[in-house]
Amino acid sequence: MFLPIIAMAVAVVSGFLGLIRQYQMLQQNSYFASRYFGWLKGNAPLLPLILKGFIVILALLAALLGESTLKESLTLFVAVALYFGWRAAALNGESIKKLVYTARIKRMLAFSVVLLLVLGILGIVFKGIVSVVLLTVLVLLSLFPELLCFISLFALKPCEKMIANHYINDAKKILSSVYGIKVIGITGSFGKTSTKYILSRILSEKFNVLHTPESFNTPMGVVRTIRESLRADTEIFVCEMGAKNVGDIKEICDIVHPDFGLITSVGAQHLETFKSIDNVFKTKFELYDAVKAKSGTVFANGDNKIITENAAEDVILYSSSAGTNYFAENITSGRNGANFDLVLNGERVSVSTKLLGRHNILNIIGAAAVAYSLGVSPEDIAFAVSRLTPTEHRLELKGSLNGSLLIDDAYNANPEGCLEAVNVLNSFDGMKKVIITPGLVELGDKEFECNKALGEAAAKVCDKIIFVGKKRSEPLVLGAKEAGFNADNMYIAASFKEAMEIYTSFCDENTVVLLENDLPDNYLK
Amino acid sequence: MKTTVAFIFGCRSVEHEVSIISAVQAMRSVNREKYDIVPIYVTKNGEMYTSEKMFEIESFRDMKALIADSEPVTLIKKGKDVVLKYLNNKMFSKKKDVVLNVAFPVVHGTNCEDGTLQGYLEFLGLPYVGCDVLSSAVGMDKAVFKYVMKAADLPVLDCICFYAREYAKNKNEIIEKAEKEIGYPMIVKPVNLGSSVGITKAADKNALIDAIDLAVSFSDKVLIEHAVSAIREINCSVVGDADSCEASVLEEPFMNDEILSYEDKYMSNSKSSGSKGMASLSRKIPADISEEKSTEIRELAKKVFKALGAAGVVRIDFIIDTDTNKVYVNEINTIPGSLSFYLWEATKLPYSELLDKLISLAFRRNRNRENLTFTIDTNILSGVSFGAKGAKGSKI
Repeated sequence: MFLPIIAMAVAVVSGFLGLIRQYQMLQQNSYFASRYFGWLKGNAPLLPLILKGFIVILALLAALLGESTLKESLTLFVAVALYFGWRAAALNGESIKKLVYTARIKRMLAFSVVLLLVLGILGIVFKGIVSVVLLTVLVLLSLFPELLCFISLFALKPCEKMIANHYINDAKKILSSVYGIKVIGITGSFGKTSTKYILSRILSEKFNVLHTPESFNTPMGVVRTIRESLRADTEIFVCEMGAKNVGDIKEICDIVHPDFGLITSVGAQHLETFKSIDNVFKTKFELYDAVKAKSGTVFANGDNKIITENAAEDVILYSSSAGTNYFAENITSGRNGANFDLVLNGERVSVSTKLLGRHNILNIIGAAAVAYSLGVSPEDIAFAVSRLTPTEHRLELKGSLNGSLLIDDAYNANPEGCLEAVNVLNSFDGMKKVIITPGLVELGDKEFECNKALGEAAAKVCDKIIFVGKKRSEPLVLGAKEAGFNADNMYIAASFKEAMEIYTSFCDENTVVLLENDLPDNYLK
Repeated sequence: MKTTVAFIFGCRSVEHEVSIISAVQAMRSVNREKYDIVPIYVTKNGEMYTSEKMFEIESFRDMKALIADSEPVTLIKKGKDVVLKYLNNKMFSKKKDVVLNVAFPVVHGTNCEDGTLQGYLEFLGLPYVGCDVLSSAVGMDKAVFKYVMKAADLPVLDCICFYAREYAKNKNEIIEKAEKEIGYPMIVKPVNLGSSVGITKAADKNALIDAIDLAVSFSDKVLIEHAVSAIREINCSVVGDADSCEASVLEEPFMNDEILSYEDKYMSNSKSSGSKGMASLSRKIPADISEEKSTEIRELAKKVFKALGAAGVVRIDFIIDTDTNKVYVNEINTIPGSLSFYLWEATKLPYSELLDKLISLAFRRNRNRENLTFTIDTNILSGVSFGAKGAKGSKI
């Protein structure tokens, strides 16, 4: 009698420990059983699996020998489970992104512990075949917390649904109770997060603004933002809406009922779930349907072909050059960043921003169009835009050696982004242009082609080129040479330290250097 | 969920009662569809009370009964919010602490209008209507205000300024200096009181001594300036902030005495029609002066507003020397009596819209501050240690 009770306690503890790791992974897969299963398939180590399987077979054999044998040997089996549980919990402890004990995780843990306890107690109390079945299941579950993880996930689904609905209704109630509040929905395949920040900053010239933080762009993320941060004095709620499946945007719109919409782009993102670009378009434009239901206004990126070809006529387009009602003209770049004329429905204001690159300017125009239609004056828009700050190492403009100018794009590692950075460099009219780059890495088959293209682009724009790493820069050199770049102006440095020494030897106040895809801080100190 | 506005009024000031009138007027004019109001009455001892009865001016006639009927409260910081806490809250009481969104100080005079209350709200982190600490403080000290105006090249009357103890010690020297530099007739003012309290005009030496004696009983610091003999007083209200502001139409208050005394300002009509504060003072709106002069004064008023870094609604009092037709900035009221609503109604801005605008301005200032960088995300303390064990860390 005493032994089974110890065994049961051990089983509960080991199940609990094992679950911590499983819940950690479930949480990081956003509680999607399919994604979690995908992780399991890719990460289950073979040896423990065989060992655990062996223990289960032993337990079954013991069960065949009879109820008493199973009860007596139970401790042995669950001790093995305890060992694995302890190992798994340690894995969570060592990871960077640990399990967060949310209310939902606590509910699932409690459910699992109770389940193990019930199995154990009934297994001890009952006799015969019932006991054998219950205790075998107990051994199985404590050895394989993955199973427990699935069971608790599915068993609590209806309960979670109810709780989620409660939160959603609560958020709806809060939102509708705030006097005169306006909701702006922002979606798009890319650019939505930056645009959200820019729009909120501009709107803050005139209104109390709340925006969804970071990438809280799922229904529950939006609900949480409303419940935790919406205040009685909030005048505008800027709501980022993310989508991976058809209907995702509608789901968020049904909660917040946006008065304005901003669609930053429609592109080939998440095609594995969307299946087709057409579906991406349909989903993004669920925002349009919701806004129109409230007779609101929708703004969309007029540079984006899929949008211009498919959007309804009453969508207000904005673009990076003339052709729509909201656009930029006379874009130049200089020591103080990008300067351009912002044209807002006929009103023109000259703005200057530290954000470089066409995509940033386009995001600014989109945000300015919405803010303008909400009554923020062009002067206030221009001021807010001048105060925007770039993300670190993303086309960040800084002073550098000998009074020269540095465009720090060290964190950029995608081919299109690199070519855009070279375009930005090109926009610095009248300055001596230099690039320092080791080229791109980890692009697989495409790597050689991409680097060659970067070499070509740099050759067309730069006065001097410094490539870093003799072997790495071979495709870059090839591209530059094919574009007819004078080899006398091309340097190959062994390290960034050396690259900077070369750069220092010729740079002056009239030089601008683009630092592409590596960290400058390590050697600038 | 409406924006909750805490109206703070009363306070330890000689203009305590005037503040009550101004506050009740304002609270009754707020758009209640958009705002919830919490009255916070501060007694002359500095205790805070709230009660629904504070919307009625009659309730303040019997102060003892009102206090007995009110709840003592205080403001505290709770997480990110500032809340009104009921001090006598028993368990299971129905009174729930109230989250405040913005404070609306309607106070006049020292110990409140002079930046004191503003500093308290600033420290709590509650957005508030009107001038900030610095502009309130400068606006209250008539001497420092003159210095700031002078530095901004705005016209003010010259003055001499001294402390009460200085005067006690060097009485004759100071009087001689005044006679030499200013000349009779003079006006003697305590530097930091509003509503003309303690201000007297002196035509000769004896009157001057009496006037100084009265002034030092109100303030440690006194200023003397020349009394313009042919004088018109013109007031102008300004609403806005440093980025954009507007000036109201002008008013000319009528004076029973040669200068506008406290009785004129607040008591003149009180016996017959009940206390109506500044709004009831006999005056002419708009002032009967030339279009040209009016424009000059309104532009000047906006310059004064900006030079001081004022915000919200203020009233700036000007003097016109009718002999020379020259305009002087006399003083600023950073929280004017009745919030100068009568001037804005005459400028076609209804009181409820004025209040709405003032509250928006409070939020705007708060946002502008939030958009600035106040903290830097590196903890200098992380590498610092004090004792002998601190070989690893840097030393302070």
